[in-house]
Amino acid sequence: MASFFATYDFLLVSMVLAAVLALTLYLPLMAGQLSVASPGFYALGGYIAAIMSTKIFPPGPGLYPVSLVLLEMAVAAVVSGALGLAVGVPALRLRGIFLALATIAFVQILGVVALNLQITGGAVGIFGIPQPFANPIEYMWLAVPLLLVSMLFVARLERTRTGRALVALREDELAAAAMGVNPTYHKVLAFTTSAVLAGAVGAVSAHFINTWNSRQGTFDTSVNLMAFVLVGGSRTFVGPVVGGLVLTALPEALRGLAGVDVLPGWLASFLRDGRLIIFGVLIAIGTVFFPHGLITPGLLRRLGRGRARAR
Amino acid sequence: MNRTFLLQQVLNGLAIGSVYAIFALGYTLIFSVLRIINFTHGAIFTIGAYATYALTGSQFGINGLLAGATLPFALPFVLALLGGSVVAALSGVIVERLAFRPLRARGADPLLTLVSSLGVAVALVNITQYLFGAEPYSYPDPLQGLPTAMNFGTAAAPVLVRTVQVVIFGVSMVMLVLLTYLMNATRTGKALRAVAEDMTTSSLLGIDTDRLVLLTFVISGFLGGVTGTLIGLSVGVAGPYFGIAFGLKGLAVIVLGGLGDIPGAVVGGLIIGLAEAFVPAQYIAYREAVPFALLFVVLLVRPQGLLGRAQVQKV
Amino acid sequence: MSVAPAAAPGAPAVSGADLLVVDAVTCQFGGVTAVNAVSFAVGRGELFGLIGPNGAGKTTLFNLITGLTAPGGGHLRFRGEDITGLPPHRVAERGIARTFQNVRLFGELSALDNVMIARHVRTRSGLVGGVLGLGAARREERETRERATALLDLVGLADRPEERARNFAYGDQRRLEIARALALEPELLLLDEPAAGMNAGEKRALSDLIRSVRARLSLTVLLIEHYVPLVMNLCDRIAVLNFGQLIALGPPALVQKHPAVVEAYLGDGA
Repeated sequence: MASFFATYDFLLVSMVLAAVLALTLYLPLMAGQLSVASPGFYALGGYIAAIMSTKIFPPGPGLYPVSLVLLEMAVAAVVSGALGLAVGVPALRLRGIFLALATIAFVQILGVVALNLQITGGAVGIFGIPQPFANPIEYMWLAVPLLLVSMLFVARLERTRTGRALVALREDELAAAAMGVNPTYHKVLAFTTSAVLAGAVGAVSAHFINTWNSRQGTFDTSVNLMAFVLVGGSRTFVGPVVGGLVLTALPEALRGLAGVDVLPGWLASFLRDGRLIIFGVLIAIGTVFFPHGLITPGLLRRLGRGRARAR
Repeated sequence: MNRTFLLQQVLNGLAIGSVYAIFALGYTLIFSVLRIINFTHGAIFTIGAYATYALTGSQFGINGLLAGATLPFALPFVLALLGGSVVAALSGVIVERLAFRPLRARGADPLLTLVSSLGVAVALVNITQYLFGAEPYSYPDPLQGLPTAMNFGTAAAPVLVRTVQVVIFGVSMVMLVLLTYLMNATRTGKALRAVAEDMTTSSLLGIDTDRLVLLTFVISGFLGGVTGTLIGLSVGVAGPYFGIAFGLKGLAVIVLGGLGDIPGAVVGGLIIGLAEAFVPAQYIAYREAVPFALLFVVLLVRPQGLLGRAQVQKV
Repeated sequence: MSVAPAAAPGAPAVSGADLLVVDAVTCQFGGVTAVNAVSFAVGRGELFGLIGPNGAGKTTLFNLITGLTAPGGGHLRFRGEDITGLPPHRVAERGIARTFQNVRLFGELSALDNVMIARHVRTRSGLVGGVLGLGAARREERETRERATALLDLVGLADRPEERARNFAYGDQRRLEIARALALEPELLLLDEPAAGMNAGEKRALSDLIRSVRARLSLTVLLIEHYVPLVMNLCDRIAVLNFGQLIALGPPALVQKHPAVVEAYLGDGA
């Protein structure tokens, strides 16, 4: 058991963080908004943590205090939220494709800025980010509560007045407005909440990955997140979580398969390196065959009924 | 401001801009007929560049599955360009058949098609990288006989533009004229515009919409392949991910010009090229952000772009 | 009550009993004038009908009143307050609810959820309170559910609250849309062709429902309807639109015989 964790420690934490990031795409999607802005806030959060821990707080002997990591997460969350509000209020008057394009532009702009600022370390980025834990697996102390809290938040949200308003906007924005739901307010709310969460994940990730540069939180990240949500499920919070966990683990699982002697060499190396190819193809297949993802509310209802009957 | 300097910057801007323009022509053509944003255009661009490279008999490098491979023949550059663009066009058609047609058949939201095209583009680019590696390549020089640059200034105050850039600008103007002629003055163009208005009605009126969609993707893919090769000729093939970067920048170009507007694609491309050329020296590092900043602003202020018409939403 | 077509522009008399005042409202789409300087007033408690041939501008007028479209000219006043140009959710806040010509339910959601959503303006719990499950939010949630259930009962759909809205029969969907509109606790209810697609029995039931709802909830109802007998039977007054213009206004019996109305529906040489 110990060796399992030792081998897969990095993967397990990555899976959990990916699941949280997937939820940041899910939140605006609840209101029917496709926003790929999360990678931008994720990058921002990471930079904030990296800068705070390498330049602001003095390096001490031993491990970096966890309380400071939590402080960084809080600061990252607040700053991301503020930026999310600033960007969201004008941008969320846009619909559909136009909003998606605006969020793509946002991530690209942030990337260029990050690449060029002195404080972000330019192209090299920031490295040697202090570690609050001796073993990577201990990052689960941060990652798992973060995942559980966000899952709980979204699950509760789906049952409240605000959550209903979001879903109504997704179903039919015009009718929702006619029934008294303020579209811009709720869209901005979902967007900002998503930014807050993405910033917090970024802060943890910066410590976890130990370095942070403009290669974190890019267009590729947007594609990953879309795969998680599109394949996992876009109509219930369970979808993105499962999508994030499973799809992050998939390349590793396939790598394991590639170790098996039976496969021809080219297939083995493809499975090893082709994560983005697989995700891309899954996205394309998903839009045609399961546009709401694999885990739908209907499926969950059926599973729930099945379990009840078995009792 | 120094007139020579100004002229030089303008020409630089037009040179870059004309590459964006040819790319955007194919991009916007698909939107004009099908009302979808086809992000795979960037991947097709890459495929065209790599296909042309292969057809010139050149060898692929040390990375990638096909390291060290060459084709058993070598074509002169212009033929390789045409051949590579045909390969690109074919790829576009295959993507259309496999990825977009099923979505169109069920009346899917254009947003879903955009998402699908993002996935396909990333997959294709990464397949290319997997096969051919990510190192830079350059084409055997087809313009050997010609001077490397043309002087638009005087001997004392030279304003130089590389010959290849002049060629590219010329190609973009020719493409613009041909496409505009096609759309406005031919029967096929009229049919394409009918399909753009209303596909169902057009097909009920006897227009072969399938064939026209095919034609659109062939033209668009061909243009994408041409752009890929021309850019490769101008600055070298900088790895498959260049296609993604172009695909992203192309979004800014077509939105600025007006989605679906063919002259708009050229106008948008030239404007963004000029904007990039005129970034002051101390901010040169932020040049890459200029198209996206423009995109963001245009979306907020005038989403129909410079030449597009405002869309009225019927309730 | 006048039977003549709407005369010169200018504010019609605003009496204390007028709930909605449409004052020389105009709306153009491109080259087409969909609504042309239409003026009338709807009194409190009235059952007011709006009829006219297809394309006369009736739904556009509804869209203008509810803020889905902004008028090019004129004013709209509700309870004395100028609501011209307000966005739809603000109009809903002020107490105007509507149904749509092509039913616009939240298809994937349950019937109960559809009605509960419309309780939005009458409830207040926010994001934090709701998610944390604070006492006030929980109470409000319970109350919302109860009220929504009661409304489903009122329209006769209480047996299937968890059924997805898209699975209901067309006539039932229209009744569900009415229940949803009523959840806003409106003072003015706009019904856009509520009887479309219904058979004779369903139309009678709908008529009864509208009357009973008006009485029980002290509503004012503005009704677009193509099925003329329903309108004649149900409404206190009727306005007739043709090509965006008001051509007649008055009690059913008089409007029915108005020459301009007859011509609009039957054409020349009737």
